[in-house]
Amino acid sequence: MIAEIRDIAYSVNNRYVETWKNGGNKVVGFPCTFVPEEILHAAGILPFRLRGVGTKTLSIGDTYYGPVICSFPKCILQLAGQGDYSFLDGTIITNGCDSMRRLDECWRKAGEDIEGILPGFFYYFGVPHKVTDYSIRWFVDEIRELLSALEGHFETEITEQALKQSIEIYNTGRKLLRKLDGIRASDDVVINGEDAMAIIIASSSMPREDFNTLLEATLSEVKKSGAGMAGKKRLMIVGSANDDLDFIRLIEDSGAVVVADTMCFGSKSYVDLVDETTDPVDALARRYLSHSYCPRMFGYYKERLDYIRKKAAAARIDGIILQNIRFCDLHGSENGIFERDLEAEGIPCMRMEREYGPLVETGRIKMRVDAFMERIS
Amino acid sequence: MRRESREYNYDWMLWSILDHAAKSCDGTKKEYENLCTLIPHFRDVLDALVRHGEPGRLFLNLLSDYCQRCISAHDNGKKVALTSFCVATPILYAFDMVPVCLEAMTVLGTIVLKRGTAEYLDYCCEVGFTETSCSAQRGALGAFLAGLAVRPDIIVCDSPGICDTNANSFAFASSYLDIPFYQLNYPPSLTDERATRYHREDFKNLIVFIQEQTGNTLDEDVLRTVVEETKKQDNLASELLELQRIVPSPVPGIYDLLLYGGKFMTGGLKIYTTLLESMLETVKRNAERGVSGTTSSREKARGLFCYIDHYTTNMRFWDWMDYNEIAHLGSLLFTFWQEGAVYAEDHENETYRIETDTMDTMIDSLADQMSRMPMVKQIRGPYDAPGMWLDDSLGAARLLHADFVAYIGTMGCRNTWGMVKLLARDLENRGIPTMVLYVDAFDDRIASWEAMTDKMDEFIALRRIGL
Repeated sequence: MIAEIRDIAYSVNNRYVETWKNGGNKVVGFPCTFVPEEILHAAGILPFRLRGVGTKTLSIGDTYYGPVICSFPKCILQLAGQGDYSFLDGTIITNGCDSMRRLDECWRKAGEDIEGILPGFFYYFGVPHKVTDYSIRWFVDEIRELLSALEGHFETEITEQALKQSIEIYNTGRKLLRKLDGIRASDDVVINGEDAMAIIIASSSMPREDFNTLLEATLSEVKKSGAGMAGKKRLMIVGSANDDLDFIRLIEDSGAVVVADTMCFGSKSYVDLVDETTDPVDALARRYLSHSYCPRMFGYYKERLDYIRKKAAAARIDGIILQNIRFCDLHGSENGIFERDLEAEGIPCMRMEREYGPLVETGRIKMRVDAFMERIS
Repeated sequence: MRRESREYNYDWMLWSILDHAAKSCDGTKKEYENLCTLIPHFRDVLDALVRHGEPGRLFLNLLSDYCQRCISAHDNGKKVALTSFCVATPILYAFDMVPVCLEAMTVLGTIVLKRGTAEYLDYCCEVGFTETSCSAQRGALGAFLAGLAVRPDIIVCDSPGICDTNANSFAFASSYLDIPFYQLNYPPSLTDERATRYHREDFKNLIVFIQEQTGNTLDEDVLRTVVEETKKQDNLASELLELQRIVPSPVPGIYDLLLYGGKFMTGGLKIYTTLLESMLETVKRNAERGVSGTTSSREKARGLFCYIDHYTTNMRFWDWMDYNEIAHLGSLLFTFWQEGAVYAEDHENETYRIETDTMDTMIDSLADQMSRMPMVKQIRGPYDAPGMWLDDSLGAARLLHADFVAYIGTMGCRNTWGMVKLLARDLENRGIPTMVLYVDAFDDRIASWEAMTDKMDEFIALRRIGL
């Protein structure tokens, strides 16, 4: 089962998406965890988190974007321009960060030059950067506008009942992922970080019902495996978006096991549940906006530090790798203060800047991880 | 940071230099010329302003006065707010606070200090801030992080939703220095009812924050004085911009800096009104004579800068424009979108209107003003959406008869670097020669001033601009 999950995580397209499409169903991509997947699910659409995995060149990404931009959206644009995302019927762009939100213009303009790469539904979804009563109200309106746009374009109706059902299904998935967190945090770790991340990535790359079933089976399998990794140094990864399994494997090849993370292709995506007892749109707005674990939510440093502390304590980690993609100033700068504050509390930290995409810096990263391992051994 | 750089506070050094510079105009011409022989590192920047007569001298006075306010705020019992250039100052002055504008402090250090702000830029990285962050904030931020400037009581920015790297600088400063932080957050649209409601609610919340953090209260009479002064300034700026449409432009290039620099530091204060009045007088004289605002009174070409200017040491950017007889038609920082502004014709719904009837109308007016500050207005949404960057650049280029448009920014500007190639292509497709300069407006180490002028010369020659 893990092998199947790895297949999903190592490529953009996968057999679940193919089956879904073959059934005449729609797929809508989104680049950021601030898009409520439940809305798409309730519309009968497969929500698919956009990734740049498998990029081999940035010839298209660099044509539209300027030079000093994060390579994550550039890789997404590259794959879109190459036709790798031709299975998408729609895309929702958010202002997750500045590099990401400019994917809106770059993709649209690339679509004028390269035929067929712009999905029929192309939507800009604004997400506030603060949590207040009026920002939540604004976000509720934004979600309602998205609902109407989806209903109009895909000629479907998103009922309150369907939304409630989708929320329940997604909450089930989140609870299962939390169980995975529990297994990773146990003394005798029975799943490595690479496989754990593959599972988390799969959660946003396939139908959620299938994922929940697959994860339940996988968790039973993992628990029984007994292939413990006791004695290895326990690390936590913090920082920018990372769906690169090779990066995790490289770290673990140095004798560590990644037992926790606070990334958006990680625990950030399932840390909070959506309230199932209130109005579904209001509940979605509150859950998605209030989860201020991303530094795009300016002014919530202490909350994020506290979250890292709690995760670190629960997983009994030996050290933290604070990584950021080059030009990701939000994570990169906050990592600087995390390092100061966490080191002061006796938690060893290593800051690392890296590129997203093909792992071309293997030697440098390995050398730095080895040095960090020496320090904490 | 080198030990000697820690000898004096950054803001004190700026004040000391600028205060002496302002006084240098008090004597005779002969005394001034003799003085210039004794200050080899400062005479160029001093002369860049002094030779513009009264407006230049008034600007020096304004700079000196502003720096004095910053360094003596706490001694005078005033609270200090660390802010961004796109935070309109009137509300802070109405609260009897001193707004320390981080980007203005960076500009002053860049143009006045012999080595620019290099050491302060790098100090930020020493304490954990990314080297890829925007140099517009990083230049002066290093001094604040190192404790070499007045310690702010609060931090207020309005760039979330507009520019992450800008907002991130203030969020970092707040976390690093443990200072209360407020962010005005903007939605991607500007003119719809939802956006207006959000702007105003967020602004009212800012007022609550300031009251809670400083203990200061908002006095209606003081607010009205500041708001009325702001209205007067808006009218003067509109008149100035109207005159800029004339070919040749009667507006000296450096007035671009004077107009927005003065506003970012002292918008709402009488000292800025006096500067604008003096600038307008000179411009009217030039217009009556039918001459250009350049030193030679001739105009070969007209250039519009679609983002910001270049703040190299000694203000050589404006000198270069002047020497080449190119009228500086302003930059993005030049537009504030007050009602009646010449560039707002047919875009009335994008403007703000200042009303002074009641406390509430004044507060709403200031909220609307804040939401249309440079960058806050145009960079919030997709560059090609109505009222955004492309619209504003095209509108200004047509209105002011620009012969070319140039982009200068910083290496930290994810936002504009994410769309500037597209903007340039669109402008070119509409027949406007456009160039993107791969330089950093505040850090000559990215690309030297000479490299930048080479590129500009090449562009102007190749595109036969002004020929």
